[in-house]
Amino acid sequence: MEFFGGTSCLAERYPRYPPGLHISESGSEDASGARPRILVVDDERLLADTTAAILRRAGFNAKTAYEGFGALEVTASFRPNYLLTDIMMPGMNGVDLAVAIKKMYPGTKILLFSGQAGITDILEGSKAEGFEFPLLAKPVHPSKLLEGLRSLQND
Amino acid sequence: MTQTGIPIGVVGKTTVLTDASKNFLLAIIASSDDAIISKDLNGIISTWNEGARRVFGYEPEEIIGQPILRLIPEDLHHEEDDILANIRAGKRIDHFETTRVRKNGERFPISVTISPIRDESGTIIGASKIARDISDRRRADENRFRLAAIVDSADDAIIGKDLNGIITSWNAGAQRLFGYQGEEIIGQSILRLIPENLRHEEAEILRKIRAGEKIEHYETTRVSKSGDLREVSITISPIRNIGGEVVGASKIARDISDRKKVERLAIEAEKIATTGRMAAAIAHEINNPLASVLNLIFLVRQGGLSKEDTQSYLATAESELERVSHIARQTLGYYRDTGAPSEVHLRDLMDNVLSVYKSKLLSHKIVVDAKYNDLREIKVHAGEIVQVFSNVVSNAIDAMPHEGRLTISIAPLGKAEDGGGLQIAVTDSGIGIRREDLGRVFEPFFTTKGNLGTGIGLWVARQLVERHGGRISLSSSTRPDDSGTNVTVYLPFSSQSKLTQANGSDSGTEAR
Repeated sequence: MEFFGGTSCLAERYPRYPPGLHISESGSEDASGARPRILVVDDERLLADTTAAILRRAGFNAKTAYEGFGALEVTASFRPNYLLTDIMMPGMNGVDLAVAIKKMYPGTKILLFSGQAGITDILEGSKAEGFEFPLLAKPVHPSKLLEGLRSLQND
Repeated sequence: MTQTGIPIGVVGKTTVLTDASKNFLLAIIASSDDAIISKDLNGIISTWNEGARRVFGYEPEEIIGQPILRLIPEDLHHEEDDILANIRAGKRIDHFETTRVRKNGERFPISVTISPIRDESGTIIGASKIARDISDRRRADENRFRLAAIVDSADDAIIGKDLNGIITSWNAGAQRLFGYQGEEIIGQSILRLIPENLRHEEAEILRKIRAGEKIEHYETTRVSKSGDLREVSITISPIRNIGGEVVGASKIARDISDRKKVERLAIEAEKIATTGRMAAAIAHEINNPLASVLNLIFLVRQGGLSKEDTQSYLATAESELERVSHIARQTLGYYRDTGAPSEVHLRDLMDNVLSVYKSKLLSHKIVVDAKYNDLREIKVHAGEIVQVFSNVVSNAIDAMPHEGRLTISIAPLGKAEDGGGLQIAVTDSGIGIRREDLGRVFEPFFTTKGNLGTGIGLWVARQLVERHGGRISLSSSTRPDDSGTNVTVYLPFSSQSKLTQANGSDSGTEAR
């Protein structure tokens, strides 16, 4: 299903990431050890960056990746406590990424978010492997997202 | 016939014939095609003519003096007793159809007439037997019966009509399909079966039949006695007489209502599936920017941003919302074009599109070579056709990022009698489309442009063209120095006929 690949957009006329926009990364450098680390993965850069900005303000040490393989690389050095990932991405999809990370770092808490139906097959696949992840539907209000992460914390 | 002086019984009276009369009769017997045999009352053969030799295969010298039973199959030997009893009683047996056996053992059907032979005193002394081989007649009869049985048991309606369209035969299938009994419809005009709005078909059918042409698997609609419409596939063949003249037509009609229903269901199912796929993809395209907008507004509301950042966040949110509305227009908007079609020159629509892309054409260093020959106006939904042209032209521009030539032609096409139409050809000298992608270019959300494409341009173009009863096809080459893509659109002047059953297979792709 190539057209589910999430590669189609109107970037030329309506760029996803306006060149002038700078989403603040302040807070990512200081005293990072004390704060929970979270990796945000979405091929929609603007969404990944704004989500990370919100999480930083909420007290997380947040990093972003824009596709699955890049996310694996970041994970190796960053060792996030949380993974928040989109599902439909070009290359490795979010569920495969989550399964891979869970296998390598079983302690990682994982939250999926997706903007469309048609992912049931992918989720069934991971379920068959014994992995089940909570799922949030896009668009998700930031306060709901923070609530979801908090409930993971209490697991 | 070597023996002479056979007494011949004539209607009960016995007359002694003159020699001349005898010779005359003997000549008739000798030249008869039928087997003429005489036998005595014990069933012993006494004379044997040339016809008998041909039919049964025995020479006179080997059969005369032999019992007649040699000619009768064993299981029918009892017949001979009956025959002899009748003959002894002076009775004649007329056209008795039975089976006899030839010298070579072959059984064959025969019709025999057997009469008693009397002597001068009127005493019965034997029998004459005239036998006709009816194998050929039997075969012809059997063939006719078999054909009649086939016609009668056929599921299809099989109808005969003359050259004036008057029904001359009507089988059981026709009765089932159309509801008329043979006796109420034979002699009536075939027009009774044709819906009023299709009556013109019959004149054309009769014209073809008179010219000796056959009409095969023509799909149309007919009407039954109860007034219900029946979707049928008909095959009509001329019927000729022995001289080869066309004297009528046989018409075989097959009820294809069920098949048509299945086809319609399949198309509906496909439409629903496409709609589902579209909805999923649209959801993805719309939910991402909406999620970003929620995030941006949340960040602004939390405060603590510089005035500059606040402005920038809000501007980004605005452009994301623009993106959402653009996608909505592209995917859902065209369904709203319910306005009446209007008469336009296609050249005007094409020029509109080219002016929209003027700056882009300039920046891509694309030379436009447009040749318009559309003297006639055409009735279309202008907004939809603009969208078709726009999609095709913008694809061509995307295929030529650095420089190239865009060749556009609009010209009449087709014969005047079926209305004709206009053909629009848009050819670029761009990179072309890979052979393996060609089959998918009309699929929704298929794109070869990566992040630059929405993947619905050609798909939407095809829907719109087919709604106008037209066709769109694409050919492409990626050969170095000769690459490029040609998109050809055909729009008929009169689109009513096929508007409802636009056929997807009419639109196609090919590699060049």
